[in-house]
Amino acid sequence: MRQNKVAIVGAGRFGLALAHRIASAGRAVVVWSQKTAVVEEINRDHRCSRLPDVAFAPSLSATGDPEELARDARFIVVAVSAAAVRERVRQLGEVINGSHMLVHALGVLVSPGDIRVSRILAEETPALRVGALAGPALWSDLLAGSFASLVVASHFDEVTREGRRLLGVPPALRVYRGSDLAGVELAAALAGAFTVAVGMSDGLGMGPGPRSVLITRALAEAARLGDAYGAEARTFTGLAGLGNLLVRAQSEQWRDYRLGLALARGETPDGPEMASEGAQAAFAAVRLAERHSVRVPVLHAVSAVLAGRLEPAKAANAIADTVAAEE
Amino acid sequence: MTGLRSASRSRESQGTRAVLATTNRLTGFNAERSEILAEVHARVVNAYLKNASRGGDNSLEYILNEVAFSEIRRLESSPNSSPQRQIHRWRDLSNRLLRMSESEKRAELESLTWYYCRDIVGNFNPRVFRFASGVVPPVLSFLLSPVSSWREGMAALTEVGEKVQIQGPVDAVRAACRRGTLVVTPTHSSNLDSIVLALGLLMCGLPPVTYGAGKNLFTNPFISYFMRNLGAYRVDRRLRFQLYKDILKEYSTVLLERGYHSLFFPGGTRSRSNRIEERLKLGLLGTAVAAYRNNLMAGKQEGRIYLVPVTINYRLVLEAETLIEDYLAETGKSRYIIDDDEFTRLGRMIEFGRKILAHKGAVIVRFGQPIDPFGNRVDGDGESRDRRGRLVDPVSYLTDGSGEIGIDTQREAEYTRVLSRSLMESYRRDTVFLPTQVVARVLMDEIARRAGTRDIYRLLRLTGEAVRVPMSRLCDAVERLRKRISTSPPIGVLDGSLNAKPTPVVVGEALMSFGRYHTRAVVVPRDREVWVESMKLLYYYNNRLSHVAEEGVS
Repeated sequence: MRQNKVAIVGAGRFGLALAHRIASAGRAVVVWSQKTAVVEEINRDHRCSRLPDVAFAPSLSATGDPEELARDARFIVVAVSAAAVRERVRQLGEVINGSHMLVHALGVLVSPGDIRVSRILAEETPALRVGALAGPALWSDLLAGSFASLVVASHFDEVTREGRRLLGVPPALRVYRGSDLAGVELAAALAGAFTVAVGMSDGLGMGPGPRSVLITRALAEAARLGDAYGAEARTFTGLAGLGNLLVRAQSEQWRDYRLGLALARGETPDGPEMASEGAQAAFAAVRLAERHSVRVPVLHAVSAVLAGRLEPAKAANAIADTVAAEE
Repeated sequence: MTGLRSASRSRESQGTRAVLATTNRLTGFNAERSEILAEVHARVVNAYLKNASRGGDNSLEYILNEVAFSEIRRLESSPNSSPQRQIHRWRDLSNRLLRMSESEKRAELESLTWYYCRDIVGNFNPRVFRFASGVVPPVLSFLLSPVSSWREGMAALTEVGEKVQIQGPVDAVRAACRRGTLVVTPTHSSNLDSIVLALGLLMCGLPPVTYGAGKNLFTNPFISYFMRNLGAYRVDRRLRFQLYKDILKEYSTVLLERGYHSLFFPGGTRSRSNRIEERLKLGLLGTAVAAYRNNLMAGKQEGRIYLVPVTINYRLVLEAETLIEDYLAETGKSRYIIDDDEFTRLGRMIEFGRKILAHKGAVIVRFGQPIDPFGNRVDGDGESRDRRGRLVDPVSYLTDGSGEIGIDTQREAEYTRVLSRSLMESYRRDTVFLPTQVVARVLMDEIARRAGTRDIYRLLRLTGEAVRVPMSRLCDAVERLRKRISTSPPIGVLDGSLNAKPTPVVVGEALMSFGRYHTRAVVVPRDREVWVESMKLLYYYNNRLSHVAEEGVS
């Protein structure tokens, strides 16, 4: 039983939608929420006010007790916000052991140190079998049962095997496996930063040609940065990279995209928009690129606009990579 | 916990504390020798026969052909004359392969496995051990002493503890030794490392260890006699085919399972550049995980394996000149086995001993906190602790979905990578920075800053003013560097002399060491300046601090 149950840390929209998709295939899923009301609502009504139109399958349950989570499931997906991840994972570390497999679904680099979330999993818990989950599977697609795809990446074949077995619900949710953990984590974080850039481009009415140039140059610099970071270049054109970027850079549903549009209008958002994961990823990636001596004109331009050092209209020139002669 | 064990205390204990006899499994090695060989042989042959059914690279034909091909290539490039008969034997095998039946191939595999098993296996003679542990340290001490009279010479016989300083959590290592099997994993700078380490273990009351010594070290009959009778097994690094590597790994695995404390140099070979190991060989290291898993599968829950990281820190390195030449020469980078360095010249060894090792604190053996095969720190009770200090059951890393211990070679290979990262962290944390290295680093920084480059090939061409640094500037920079290091523990620890003595004295001692042993002085003080005479050696000693960021760079 324990090896067939999936645990999800965090009852946000993505975590719940993923749990719902897996449970609707008859698989047992347990969600750990720190909010008692959410736990009671799910267990009593099989519903959650965060996703008001969804009736969960009976095999989806919730708990407020991490020990129960660790006892019941060996495969755990961490789907909490970047701000909460270290603390939640630390609590999890108190109750799990080396037999657990931990994958996270966060597309961020975490401060201080701009580190990957998998490192936090290894630092804060005794688990070594860790990995990452990324790709263009929107919570709305997961709920609708549309064709969604994710990649589960880990250095451990065992983790990717179990990830595919336990999370995959084809054709509604297809899960691919990858071994380039660093690449998948970096690609997912950069996709957020590039979404801000595409939002700016769209907001300025640049048109499809410049938009395509922007996306392809962004991928090229992501691959360069990835190469210096020990990742594989092709990961950035995969689900975690290009897949994530394309799905985000088309809808105002996404905070990073909205932020780009607002910047293009000359607004300087200083609220939650500024704290968007994409904005943070842009700053983190520029620091990373400096450490590795890698040219990243798109990320430089995004962070300069975000910091108020560059007007969005002038960003296009800054992005044009005058150094590179070859594609 | 991590306390400095003074040389005198260690020397005192040397006489009173017997080697941990109960944990010296090597005394029973000869009785188990045939059994061990049979076990290794059976495991290797069975694994190969099982895989052979998959065909392709796993077929017996492929395996045997690889052996024959590698052996022919090795013998053809051998400098020794008349290997023709041996070459003929392998050519004959290669020619016969296509006509051989499966049972003949199997017989050939069995025969070759026996052949290499016998070539590798070691021996332990308790009488030789008693002789060596009783006589060698004083003799070594005598050899290493700058004596001018017989009276001083006799006094030196009892002073070996002064030469090798022991640091680190020795009690935790002893505790681990009582609870399980140790895999001692030191950094590797010199061929003297195994002798220095053997002495270090003896001084700490730890039992002798078995280890794989390069076959090239067995060419000297005197050294070979001791090595072969003190538990060393032979590793022929010229044999690079899979069958040999697998036999070697299985031999190590079986020894660990049976409780024989072992020694690996995870760097594989001496650090040519003098940098602390940045990449470890995972083959033998992986046998720690395999042995632990086999123990658990055999129901031996108490069969714990503990890795003991050790840094061996020399004020000057015996073979520095050859090693750095080799590192810098483009062709030399691939030279894996060096058989013509200072270690092979007795005169240089004695000179090194008397001029360098003879001085107190010239070698520091620093033990790190033991770790388990999954990279977790091990506490004084032999229990594993995760990075946050929480108790963790190492068995849990090897369980599958049903809670059973399973074999998953890919998983174990990843654990070995985790382990290697943990060992490298420990090496950095427990590297002892000696005055020579700190002074070399400061001089290198000064010269590189003025030259506007750290490219060693450019720096090697500098002359005159470009390679002179005012003494006052050197002392100020040493002072700043030592402050920086002492406030950043994860990058290493300062030698006691760097903390206890005024900077000019420490710099003076380093300069004296630099002028004392190498065929050419590394640096010399002239007027109020320090002149670099050998940029290569300066680079070599500076490299020990290569992981320390430059001043002003985070």
